[in-house]
Amino acid sequence: MSRNSTQWHAKPNLPETHYVDTSVYTSEELFREEQEKIFNKVWIIACHESEIPNKFDYRTFHHPGGENLIIIRGEDDKVRAFYNICPHRGNTILYDPSGNAKRMTCIFHSWSFDPQGSCVEIPRGKEGYQERLGKADVCLREVKCDRGYGGFIWVNVDDESMSLQEYIGDALGLLDESLAPELEVFTYHKAIVNTNYKLWHDTNSEFYHDYMHYFNRITGMMQPGYFDRKYTGYKYGHASVGSMEVKYDAYEGSAQRGVGWPGLAPGGWILIDLFPGMTYNLRTSVLRMDTSIPLGPNKVMIEFRGLGLKSDNADERAERVRDHNTIWGPFGRNLHEDLLGVHGQGIAMREGTDSKWVIHGREENNTIHDEIGMRHFYAEWGRRMNRMASEPQKPFNKSEAA
Amino acid sequence: MTPREQVESVIYRSCMTLDAADFDGYINLCDDDYHYRISAYSPEIRKDMIWLEHDKDGMSTLFKQLPRHNSDKSPLSRHATIYSVEFADGDKEANVVSFLQVFKTALDGGTTELYAVGKMYDKVKLNGKGATLVNREVKLDTRQLGIGHHVPF
Repeated sequence: MSRNSTQWHAKPNLPETHYVDTSVYTSEELFREEQEKIFNKVWIIACHESEIPNKFDYRTFHHPGGENLIIIRGEDDKVRAFYNICPHRGNTILYDPSGNAKRMTCIFHSWSFDPQGSCVEIPRGKEGYQERLGKADVCLREVKCDRGYGGFIWVNVDDESMSLQEYIGDALGLLDESLAPELEVFTYHKAIVNTNYKLWHDTNSEFYHDYMHYFNRITGMMQPGYFDRKYTGYKYGHASVGSMEVKYDAYEGSAQRGVGWPGLAPGGWILIDLFPGMTYNLRTSVLRMDTSIPLGPNKVMIEFRGLGLKSDNADERAERVRDHNTIWGPFGRNLHEDLLGVHGQGIAMREGTDSKWVIHGREENNTIHDEIGMRHFYAEWGRRMNRMASEPQKPFNKSEAA
Repeated sequence: MTPREQVESVIYRSCMTLDAADFDGYINLCDDDYHYRISAYSPEIRKDMIWLEHDKDGMSTLFKQLPRHNSDKSPLSRHATIYSVEFADGDKEANVVSFLQVFKTALDGGTTELYAVGKMYDKVKLNGKGATLVNREVKLDTRQLGIGHHVPF
């Protein structure tokens, strides 16, 4: 039995927390607000410490709020973050995604900065500026930077923000022991997909879509313990999913993992979603980190990292790489399926397609196919955006909307 | 066929069979000791990365499992240009370097885009009747592959 237009557009017969208006995935206006009210206010993973192991090593990072950043390790071994903008004529200071720079020198006019953000050289400065402007007036804009939770480097462009520790709270508690050793990134790639960043995070927030993954159905859904895994929500929109023993050898060509991970039971799998778009996915022998960087309402760049232990010997590392590639990476069985799914959502929910509602209505006592993970996310989204995701046209506080 | 022609034939047929999803045909081009790898260098983390690695049985299993998975059905077109062939062991082996371009064509509308470029480093065995692939490493320059792909390049 199909529906007509009126029926298609009618609100679902569910609580307003159990569905969202699809304009939250397509509206340019809401996207700009999200950049201002969410991404420019929260802690975001910029890179991993293993990507900048030596003094003066740097990485560049496109912040989801729009800012381009430099993450650089100083002579004092402290990691700092700055806008990647020359204060002189606004050029990009560092063009490459990584490198080593004792002095960061702009290619345009050779203005030079040290890893603490001080301007150390203005060619012919006195001749041009006399006493009117000096090096002290044109230092780099520094943003908050902290290291934590597995050696990740976090940034926050809000100078008044809470600390990283307060922001995370106990959301990563399930991984306390697992994140204690020194970790190392062994694979990195980006995927740019024409879809909204929240659709990717939604996919990481629910396991009902294991129907899409043959690998997960065989090794997980059909195995004992799968339906016992539970979601737990934390302050600020974070959520975790507890472990089960994955039966990897149920999939032809895949073997039970010989290499494990500290603090994780054999065959174990823990997933933790951090608001607004990062996911720790520790699956037996590999830690995968997803970081969503929205480029527009219908375009997201997702950074994918695979990590092992810095102490791995060659054989252990080789096994982690093989395990990672079975299901993840650009040719893995699962990741392509997940990206295909959100790609399809992006096509179906573009502005003008007359899409209307996305349902987050499953209730199963917070177990693995419950959609509580997404409801928890949109509760925090609504708090920060001053509106319900089910009715984004009506802000809670009209004066703030004005 | 001359030894050079045998080498060219196996390289180009490896592209044609994958394009046609003739996976048995591809496997028949491979030596029993076949080893396949896709790799790339990341300027972001400044490391060489391995993205896919299988022996002959592993490749056979990968192809066999494909129908069970959800995959992008856009056909790929692989174009190889052989850059160099170095014979060894009295023309019984050859090391081959080829430039690889992979194009993707949308099923809906037929727009073709360049999907990936890189080089193939092959070791080929010649037995007088023809050539087989012993070892292939596809070193990709392209690292942004959108939603990814299930079928090896």
